[in-house]
Amino acid sequence: MKLRKMLALTLATAMTLSLVACGGSAETTETTTETATETKTEAEAEVKEEAPAAEAEAEAPAGVPTYTQITLGEDYTDLTAEIKWIHHKTDREEDGTIAAMVAEFNKVYPNITVTTEGVTDYAEDALLRLSTGDWGDIMFIPAVDKAELANYFQPFDTLENMSTAINFADAWEFGGTSYGVPYMANAQGVLYNKAVFEAAGITELPTTPDEFLAALQAIKDNTDAIPLYTNYAAGWTMGAWDAYIGTVSEGDNTYMNQKFVHDAAPFDDPGDGTGIYNLYKILYDAVANGLIEDDYTTTDWEGCKGMINRGEIGTMVLGSWAFAQMVEAGENGDDIGYMPFPMTVNGTQYVAAGGDYNFAINVNSSDDNKTAAMVFVKWMTEESGWCYNEGGYTVAKGGQNPDMYAAFDGCEVLADMPAIAGEETFLNDVNAESELSFNAGGNAKVQRIVEAAATGSESYDDIMADWTAKWNDAQDYLGIEAN
Amino acid sequence: MAAMTQVSMKKKRTLGEWARSRDGQKVFVMVAFMIIPLVLLFVFTYLPFAEMFGFSFYNMKYIGERKFVGLKNYIRVFQRDDCFSALKNSLYYMGGSVVQLALALYLATVLSFKVKGGSIFKGFMFFPYLINGIAVGFIFKFFYTRGFVFDTVLQWFGFELENLPYWLKDQSINNISLVGTSVWRYFGQNMVLFIGAIMSVDSELYEAAMLDGANRFQQFMYIILPSIKTIIVLNVILSITGSLSAFEPPYVITSGANGTGTYFVIMHEIAHTQQKVGVASAMAIILLMIIFAATILQKLFFKYVFRSAEDEDLNATARRDKKLAKLAARKAGR
Repeated sequence: MKLRKMLALTLATAMTLSLVACGGSAETTETTTETATETKTEAEAEVKEEAPAAEAEAEAPAGVPTYTQITLGEDYTDLTAEIKWIHHKTDREEDGTIAAMVAEFNKVYPNITVTTEGVTDYAEDALLRLSTGDWGDIMFIPAVDKAELANYFQPFDTLENMSTAINFADAWEFGGTSYGVPYMANAQGVLYNKAVFEAAGITELPTTPDEFLAALQAIKDNTDAIPLYTNYAAGWTMGAWDAYIGTVSEGDNTYMNQKFVHDAAPFDDPGDGTGIYNLYKILYDAVANGLIEDDYTTTDWEGCKGMINRGEIGTMVLGSWAFAQMVEAGENGDDIGYMPFPMTVNGTQYVAAGGDYNFAINVNSSDDNKTAAMVFVKWMTEESGWCYNEGGYTVAKGGQNPDMYAAFDGCEVLADMPAIAGEETFLNDVNAESELSFNAGGNAKVQRIVEAAATGSESYDDIMADWTAKWNDAQDYLGIEAN
Repeated sequence: MAAMTQVSMKKKRTLGEWARSRDGQKVFVMVAFMIIPLVLLFVFTYLPFAEMFGFSFYNMKYIGERKFVGLKNYIRVFQRDDCFSALKNSLYYMGGSVVQLALALYLATVLSFKVKGGSIFKGFMFFPYLINGIAVGFIFKFFYTRGFVFDTVLQWFGFELENLPYWLKDQSINNISLVGTSVWRYFGQNMVLFIGAIMSVDSELYEAAMLDGANRFQQFMYIILPSIKTIIVLNVILSITGSLSAFEPPYVITSGANGTGTYFVIMHEIAHTQQKVGVASAMAIILLMIIFAATILQKLFFKYVFRSAEDEDLNATARRDKKLAKLAARKAGR
């Protein structure tokens, strides 16, 4: 009897422990925080001192150089270091693209050894590894609070200096210092199959939600293709809809990071086919009218690439990063097209562009490793051609853009502005508190729209009212002013 | 001073002597053997548990500052409507575990008697348990996909595809589909445990029962069932607590969407996506309490059920004694 009791108790305990395993390292984090803050102030001081010095002697400055101080191919070519880079591009790790780029890098910097590790389920794993400190020298920044950046990452340079060298330098900016360099940039549009559009008799790309739904209906009526493939089962593909908030939906690139958290009624219908309301309404209406795949619960992300390539899918709502993968997935790569999101604000179609994952350098690495990492990141950005090959919007200033962006002529391409100083954490806080998590893994809320539309369990206005209530509660709880 | 040194010297000497003695050595050996499992248990079970218990009183994320909020996290768990509605999904898994145990017990009984190819059947039925839970999830994701394996098999038996439901999309049956995967995976393991227990029953009892004219069902009711009740109770308790904390099938197959999110999946979402570690820890503690309560209730229940089973058993013996006595009396009278 006692044995059984003990067994049941131990089991019950063990089951509840799965959670803790992840949280156990929080203690160490705190200590790192303190030391790291010191390092940060030191590092900042260094940057300030060196900036004028760098102009005087452009050759290899002492300590860790900043991003803009490095001249590729000249500085540090004899530096010896071993650096490790963890990233989320497991597909590129497997197909050898990354190894090829590292080999190319080693032609110029033969003594810098770069080990790479592709991490599946990166968003979660990277965060956990970040808190343990065991991750190497270079990583792609996961979802950390901006106030924490200095505790983990080496500053690249001041925002002012970085803005002269790269686009989207402000993605991971805090207090005027830039901590991240995007490996590529995405423009947010819609993937479509040109052949399917032609067969359906669509001659002009849709520019409003109504036109888009009409186009989907035409695909359904005139072809065998699935008009809009939701990729519901993968989850994150649903969260991809969040990327159109702000620049696309409001025509305002300050909305997402500055105004959204202060908006008391962000999910109300403005009545002119714009706004967040009409953005998600496209999805609701498409599902309700049967314009999506037959069984959305068993969609297959890997499989959908070949399907759109073969013309079995009409459209998919995904960032431009997906374009290259769809082209490579079969023989009909030329059929894949990319168009701006069908929403027109005051007569203009806006396109949001922004950095993808950002390179960042471990603040606790040795100076040599930091320098090597800095060189590597700069080389990856300016020389590797990775961004172009992936079909990305150029990160390096003045870089070449791929042809796929032809349809974006005449659109206003904007990058989201960073949050107002002192309010950097607001969006994260409201996101977490309301559990809507816009652009931060809030997939469940978009999946809910699909479920509601398919089963008729909730009306669209009910969902928006519920979101508004959650958003307002979070604003109240955190004491954030809303109007 | 001198006296003190003397005393401690004396103590040390006795301690040393004791350590060299047989009793002392015995204690050392016991401690040495126990220290490893105890340390492992403490470091990987009780220490993290205590940490988590601590987390449940803080408003915290994985990184960044923590703020002590007392019992607020617990209050928030009770205020949320998704946490406890998720426990409703556990009812499906409990229902599934009843089916699973009944099936396992039936097959175990059949297979513990001489059956042609018994070992092969045992092997086939135990095999799913050896597959990794995540792999099982992926297998069933394709199994249930429209027009794939399951639908094809059903079409062989004359079902029309149009009449078949969407196994994962239809919210009235998708939980049952998921429970099916967990039954498929675990019934073989239960069966093997039951077979092991049944093997330990003295075979003379069967012979005696056969002489008394007991059929297979009576043998099962009065010999097998009472003999293996310990293992049955254990399996029931494990299955019920397991269904309260079901995670893998909904997480892998549907990622908890479409009304299939169990308590664990919701907890995972809150802890990892929303990063409300405090609330999730409070949820874990509350689940622990629920499991405690469920376990205690089950124990009381089984105490009642099996006592009456034993009583019946006793009655049966008494009846048999009476019959034997009658026979003997008849013989004597003749």
